[in-house]
Amino acid sequence: MTIIDPAPGDQQEISDRVPLGCPVVHLDASPPLEVGSHWAKANELREASPVVFNTHAQGYWMFTRYDEVREMYQHPEIFSSESITPWEPEPVYRFVPTQIDPPEHSKYRQLISRWFAPNAVKRVEPQAHEMGRRLVADLVSRGDCDFITDFAMRLPTEIFLEIIGVPHSDADLFVPWVEDFFAGFGGDLAQQEAMGAALGGIRQYWVDVLEARRGDTQQREDDFVSLLLHSTIDDEPLGDVLILDILTVLVLAGLDTTRGQLGYLFRHLAQNPQDRQRLVEEPDLIPSAVEESLRLYTIIFGDGRKVAQDTEFHGCPLSKGDMVYGLVSGANRDPRVYDRPDEFVVDRKANNHLGFAGGPHRCLGAHLARMVMKVAVEEWLALIPDFEIATDEPLMERGGGAMMTLLSLPLAWEVTA
Amino acid sequence: MKLEFDAALCRGHGRCYTLAEDLLTEDDEGYVTARGQVVDVPPDQVDDARNAAGSCPEQAITILED
Repeated sequence: MTIIDPAPGDQQEISDRVPLGCPVVHLDASPPLEVGSHWAKANELREASPVVFNTHAQGYWMFTRYDEVREMYQHPEIFSSESITPWEPEPVYRFVPTQIDPPEHSKYRQLISRWFAPNAVKRVEPQAHEMGRRLVADLVSRGDCDFITDFAMRLPTEIFLEIIGVPHSDADLFVPWVEDFFAGFGGDLAQQEAMGAALGGIRQYWVDVLEARRGDTQQREDDFVSLLLHSTIDDEPLGDVLILDILTVLVLAGLDTTRGQLGYLFRHLAQNPQDRQRLVEEPDLIPSAVEESLRLYTIIFGDGRKVAQDTEFHGCPLSKGDMVYGLVSGANRDPRVYDRPDEFVVDRKANNHLGFAGGPHRCLGAHLARMVMKVAVEEWLALIPDFEIATDEPLMERGGGAMMTLLSLPLAWEVTA
Repeated sequence: MKLEFDAALCRGHGRCYTLAEDLLTEDDEGYVTARGQVVDVPPDQVDDARNAAGSCPEQAITILED
């Protein structure tokens, strides 16, 4: 990832669009880098200017500070979710409800959000604890593991399947599918084929569940697919295509993200015994530590939107069709908002981070993700209160093209008895 | 002290009723039930109330001092 001056040929065209004083960079954030590099870059961009123009792809505006990113989220009438990937202004796909704008958006959102509301999440919390306890118990006698693949991917997947109402043992299928899907962003041909196959596998799984639920004489309780099958929007049934899209989006949005966030939190705990110790002694602080990891170790490098109307935004003339990129990871470390912005403060107050985005598209799975992370920390520390990183090699993270995650986190601990 | 909850800005992040659990409750969709209302804060819950207001990512909660 480098910031360079744009090529001389581009200079004229860019200077026509970008106001004086707005820095122009060329930044492709997708390659994997050593852990922390993306947040360091976000800090650098934020302190350079509240708005930066990036000549990557067709070119897009980057909002780097907290207030600007929040405003972007809160104004869907200006910043549409028609595209949320700034280097892909005309996507061929349409994720529901992610890429639907208000007022249409709320019809889909209401249908799904109740299922992931705090009360619904609490319903599966006892099972989540059982799953966490079992996964840690299976690892504890080994004395080491790759936290990312052996635990961080597995636990959110099992809990997600439980809340949807399908067997949590089907995590055996979903873990490799989700891994293959996100590895496909690397761009190599074999990986892209595996990505296509994974997507096909996920879709076929839901086709089969849908078929089975259709045979029911009445709607099942605690079963999300059955709920979708019996729901209507504007007095019309959703239809199979839409139901399959919704289910697939939930899988792709919910599992890899929680894995990524867990990886950074456990890397922090491995490297900071005093914070680990504090959570063992004061488990009531675990939810606060979870929030702080969402703020400091934000896995969303940035979030894209498409400009829906000509407007002036903090001195920048935005044209309809322009792409913008809210640098969430920069916003969450903005010293204009946070004391000690680059430090992990276990008991931080007034932590209003944007790790789950904001506005109408606030992360639908936020309450579930928080519960999964809390359960992970509680169950892990109960059996493995002391652990460390088991490599001297630098840890690498997937780039900000998709959601960031550590590619691997080798942990080791002493086996007792 | 009072807290005022902006109904249009609230997006159900759930930070406020988690941090001030003796003062606030949530509905079945995950919104604070005080959405669009003004809530009196008892003296012993002022710290929690400030933390709740300051933790809202939407800045939907305004602190009204007496």
